[in-house]
Amino acid sequence: MLWFEREVVGALIETPDQHLRSSIEAFVDGSLRDMPEHLRAGVLGESVLLGAYVAARRAAGRLDRDDREALLHQLESWEASPIGVLRSYVRMMKSLVVFAENELTVEGAA
Amino acid sequence: MAHLATEVLVIGSGAGGAVTAATLAEAGRTVTVVEEGPWIDADALEPFSLDEMVAKYRHHGLAAALGNPAVAYAEGRCVGGSTEINSGLYHRLPDDLVAEWQTRYGIDEFTPEALASYADRVEGRLSVAKVPGAPPASSAALERGATKLGWRNVEFARVFSYDDQQRGTKQTMSRTMLPRAIAAGATIVPDCRVQRLTRQGDRVTGARCRRTHPGGGVERLTISADHVIVCGGAVHSPALLQRSGIWRNIGNGLKMHPTIKIAARFPHPVDHGDVPMHRVTEFSPFIAIGGSASRKGHVAMALAETGAPYQDALAEWEHISTYYAAIRSEGSGRVVAAPGLRSPLVTYSLTDADLSRLARGLVNLGELLLAAGATELHPSVVGGRVVHRIDELGSWWDQVTRARANLMTVHLTSTVRMGENRERTGADSFGRVWGYRNLRVNDGSLIPDAPGVNPQAAIMAIATRNCDQFLADS
Ligand SMILES: Cc1cc2nc3c(=O)[nH]c(=O)nc-3n(C[C@H](O)[C@H](O)[C@H](O)COP(=O)(O)OP(=O)(O)OC[C@H]3O[C@@H](n4cnc5c(N)ncnc54)[C@H](O)[C@@H]3O)c2cc1C
Repeated sequence: MLWFEREVVGALIETPDQHLRSSIEAFVDGSLRDMPEHLRAGVLGESVLLGAYVAARRAAGRLDRDDREALLHQLESWEASPIGVLRSYVRMMKSLVVFAENELTVEGAA
Repeated sequence: MAHLATEVLVIGSGAGGAVTAATLAEAGRTVTVVEEGPWIDADALEPFSLDEMVAKYRHHGLAAALGNPAVAYAEGRCVGGSTEINSGLYHRLPDDLVAEWQTRYGIDEFTPEALASYADRVEGRLSVAKVPGAPPASSAALERGATKLGWRNVEFARVFSYDDQQRGTKQTMSRTMLPRAIAAGATIVPDCRVQRLTRQGDRVTGARCRRTHPGGGVERLTISADHVIVCGGAVHSPALLQRSGIWRNIGNGLKMHPTIKIAARFPHPVDHGDVPMHRVTEFSPFIAIGGSASRKGHVAMALAETGAPYQDALAEWEHISTYYAAIRSEGSGRVVAAPGLRSPLVTYSLTDADLSRLARGLVNLGELLLAAGATELHPSVVGGRVVHRIDELGSWWDQVTRARANLMTVHLTSTVRMGENRERTGADSFGRVWGYRNLRVNDGSLIPDAPGVNPQAAIMAIATRNCDQFLADS
């Protein structure tokens, strides 16, 4: 996963349990690696662009670096965007995290 | 480089491939089945779990047909193919479609009577049964809602066998047809992807493959064969043919049943271990209403679709089940094996009529679930209204747009259509690829159009029929 993807996944995960968090990240990472390569290439491209946009907003002081809520808010606005690829980017990341977080148990992940 | 020789090479071990292998091996042919995915004990993983998704789904279930909107799709990639991960629902092809396709595509010996006799044969070799006793609560809800509204509904049979305690076991290909094939002398080669077919003039001479060993090593394997039967499913059969230089009417005309969902909250707990077997057929063949896998992960994903907060509903996830409305789409798509890419590009165009059918399906499904006693409905529509009362359903008409509807499908067909009408088909009436004497397709790709019902019964009946023709021909 690219740094921005890791950050998005980190923001979407709810649980504070470190083992579980790592297992969810590993699942998302494995799923992204296993995607059809043309779709993965598209997602990588988006991650670079969106990551650069977020980094620029942080540099301009418009987005707090450690503010999870601010990143979630940004993701929400992309999810409602009229641009299809933005919506599907957020939807995919969210689906992977939400599914894994609710299927993996703390015991299973440990 | 390793080499293997066989009389019949079957590529893919799903609904089409396993039936082909068993039928031909039992008729005394020397059969080798090559399967890209691993061989996983059918009892090893919980159905619909994350572990199953990782082990048995292609791309972890993360693939999509590009278009506006994109449609997510899932396929199996393991010994037994998609039958290992499907819900086992079994429905014969409706007679009116058989008659319509027979005329439109010029399919020889394709009559309701002929297909019924092949379906009888398939059913005699599998176990097709209804649930003994009362249906689970999630399925009973469909029946209850439909009965209240006066809508037609049926309990579907499934490819399941039941023991004395009424415990059901899904009769996947790895539990049924593949053991039969092996008992009759067939060889199964798992973890082996066919990269391309080798050809000489109008004959296919075999295949070039890459086989992965359990330790991770990769070996090249060439197989020579007298006959090659491609059964990689509706996405990968055309992709393999195209990679092998065979393009005429191959890969176009992809059909699917796009599906829109609702997570429905009830005042009482519902079951989560199985998939509802009732179907509402009031709007068939254009809209089918049924239920989906509803483990906690599926419920959470479905609740998250609107984008609204859902933690309160998730806290009561045991009261929630997911349901769908699937349409028989007018649109169509393409599968294209692009040079240098391992996975084919898949595209699909939904028509405006498809979208309004999806909106209608969603509203009908909502009405049904409220009639069944649901108290809260979360549609798979970004920004879609969470509905509690019937008068709120109307808002969904405007919300099911290309930008907001989240769609998926598990039924893909029609990429190498069969029939004598050469303008419209990639293979003859029995699956022989045009232009090649010993190359056949025998899987979901042959089905000429979206069947409007779950496709595995049709795939298996048609595969059996085509095997009989193969045996008569060769
Ligand atoms: C989640 C899910 C639920 C479903 N529920 C139902 C249901 O309840 N009822 C129903 O009727 N249908 C259902 N279906 C659909 C049904 O399972 C499929 O339509 C059917 O299995 C398709 O059969 P097939 O032979 O065309 O392909 P598949 O069964 O998909 O088999 C194709 C096999 O070929 C292999 N393969 C592909 N390319 C290669 C290659 N190059 N080399 C080697 N191997 C290759 C694949 O790995 C795969 O194992 C469901 C599908 C899914 C995914």
